[in-house]
Amino acid sequence: MKLALYLGCTIQTEQYAYELSVRETFPRLGVELVDLKEAGCCGFPSFRNTNPLAWVYLSARNLALAEGMNLDILALCNGCHVSLSEVKHILDEDDSLKSYINSFLNKEGLKYNGKVKVFHTLQVLHDLVGVDRIKEAVETPLSGLKLAAHYGCHIIRPSKIPRPDDPENPRKLERLIEALGAEAAEYPERLDCCGSGLASVRGKPVLSIAGEKLKSLKVHGFDGMVDVCPFCHKIYDGRQRAISLALGEDFGIPVMYYTQLLGLAMGIEPNRLGLNLNLSPVDAIIRRVRGGVG
Amino acid sequence: MSEKAVLVIGGGIAGIQASLDLANRGIKVYLVEKTPSIGGRMAQLDKTFPTMDCSICILAPKMIECARHPNIELLTYSEVVDVHGSVGDFTVKVLKRPRYVDEEKCTGCGLCTEKCPKKVPNEFDMGLGMRKAIYIPFPQAVPRVSIIDEENCLYFQKGICRVCEKFCPAGAIDFEQKPQELELKVGAIVVATGLTQVKPTMVPEYGYGRYKNVVTSLELERLVCASGPTRGKLLRPSDNAAPKSVGFIQCVGSRGLKEGGYPYCSSVCCMYATKEAVIIKEHDPETEVYIFYIDLRAFGKGFQEFVNRAKSMWGVHYIRAMPSDVREDPDTKDLIVRYEDLETKEIREIRLGMVVLCSALTPSPENRKLAEILGVEVDEYGFFKSPDPLCLPVDTTKPGIFMCGYCQGPKDIPESVAQASGAAARAAEVLVREVAR
Repeated sequence: MKLALYLGCTIQTEQYAYELSVRETFPRLGVELVDLKEAGCCGFPSFRNTNPLAWVYLSARNLALAEGMNLDILALCNGCHVSLSEVKHILDEDDSLKSYINSFLNKEGLKYNGKVKVFHTLQVLHDLVGVDRIKEAVETPLSGLKLAAHYGCHIIRPSKIPRPDDPENPRKLERLIEALGAEAAEYPERLDCCGSGLASVRGKPVLSIAGEKLKSLKVHGFDGMVDVCPFCHKIYDGRQRAISLALGEDFGIPVMYYTQLLGLAMGIEPNRLGLNLNLSPVDAIIRRVRGGVG
Repeated sequence: MSEKAVLVIGGGIAGIQASLDLANRGIKVYLVEKTPSIGGRMAQLDKTFPTMDCSICILAPKMIECARHPNIELLTYSEVVDVHGSVGDFTVKVLKRPRYVDEEKCTGCGLCTEKCPKKVPNEFDMGLGMRKAIYIPFPQAVPRVSIIDEENCLYFQKGICRVCEKFCPAGAIDFEQKPQELELKVGAIVVATGLTQVKPTMVPEYGYGRYKNVVTSLELERLVCASGPTRGKLLRPSDNAAPKSVGFIQCVGSRGLKEGGYPYCSSVCCMYATKEAVIIKEHDPETEVYIFYIDLRAFGKGFQEFVNRAKSMWGVHYIRAMPSDVREDPDTKDLIVRYEDLETKEIREIRLGMVVLCSALTPSPENRKLAEILGVEVDEYGFFKSPDPLCLPVDTTKPGIFMCGYCQGPKDIPESVAQASGAAARAAEVLVREVAR
């Protein structure tokens, strides 16, 4: 299986660990990644709200690039995935808009025909690779770890366009966590937003929104949180100290990308998965998985 | 020359009342009911609003009257499969499914049920309790005759057992029974197929089916009823403990424009929620009860007074809010309901022991098939249509076929009974007219 890897802005500017861990793990599961060269911003969310046409153009351009390579596209970021999916949905329903957008793409010799499928990390692992293959790839089962799945809003919403999982009761991330031998337990705040959508306008509420979830994880005795979105990760991992300071409570919750956790279970060396870049206390998990080695 | 008989389809309170009215006029009635007993939804209810009468205590005498009436022929566990002809002269085919128990011989002693080794969820208790593969649907069932559930009986499924046959003192078990097709000649037909409660999965944010302590109002009705699976003790499904607080959410799937929902008002939920709230308080006044409503529809006789009493005498809390979601505490299985209180404009959270969803009531899903058999029209939700809702409310779109109860439109018990008498009168009119010719 061969996919065009679309990284988007956040991963390339600060969330390197997500890219590192995807590049380490995917090829070992039979997913060949080809860089989507000359890719641009997906246009989400800034353009979507201020200049929708520019947003459609930006996402369509990336889709057209993948189409030129005859490959389906893999977006790692929830925001990029919803943007590409939504634009695809809009263009596939509206021929006149499609030809209008194509008149701009034409200047670069590109064309959007709608042949490309848009995949997210969660879909590739759960739907294409499959839980069984992942189980087989595990070298060190993560037994005894109680982990909280965090999906991030855009991977399940809006439900009006095709999304990778059920908006009200998604289960794929839990199944993937369980495939590694860990326990993916329920908690009431499971589907709560990380708050990062508010980050550009009001910082304080973001910290308290994200803090509610971390509080719950502490109360319910979780060993860590697992996510699949760079925005969510940035909040729970990168801003966890700020959240602790703002709420006056130390959480100490290790937060990892699913692909990092997967890599650990596959026996990959932590630094190759970018685990040295996590700002939350992931060492506790690494030690438990790798014993003295980590 | 036409037959002086009427076919009544559906043995709930509306069908029972229509049958009794017709029979008391000297008209022969065939009462066809698809389940093993007449009684319908009213038989499942604990009490009735606004008078708080025991539901089965009012219904049972009428059920027995039906069974004993010389002019009524009960055809339970039967279905109408074909109708031909026109007003005054219908030929009806009824499929009588085998009970595998001889109705004439069975005394209803219940020994077979006691001895039967196979347990299955009891549909009369909305699947909350268990019954056996040979069973009497509920204590007051009419006819009080056992029935073998073929799909779960060990003999039918695996060719073993036949324990009921060995123990039956009346020799009533008959594994050789076959379906029977009866042909009836009738002058008029009354349809009274009642209602069903939607499983509220179209509102997944309330967690029905995922959280054990989220139940529908009909399930709660069985949980507080003395003949129910908990013998009338309100115990929540997760741990069989009495909940310290219960919340009702109104208009779940009804009055909504969401996909999979129903835009109409089910008409009875505000009042039965009030009734169920008072029943919970009667069981244990310490239990806190909350009713989350959009607007309270207490329009009938004595209804508003009933709500006022629930508030002042019993301390039921009415909260004007449409909760946004229900979450479960994984440790206690308590439920956390989030809502905006429209009186105070505040976002709040409340922890409850149980949540009851008053989900949409719809006409029987089998109405469409029945409408085709009868040659009448139903509307987009499956309610039978009238050619003139103002002046001919109980007439269907085909002359000689009438309707009453919930299958005509959302309504409560007294309205269903009144309409049943109306439909019976209209049906009788047809027969009298035919005889006068």
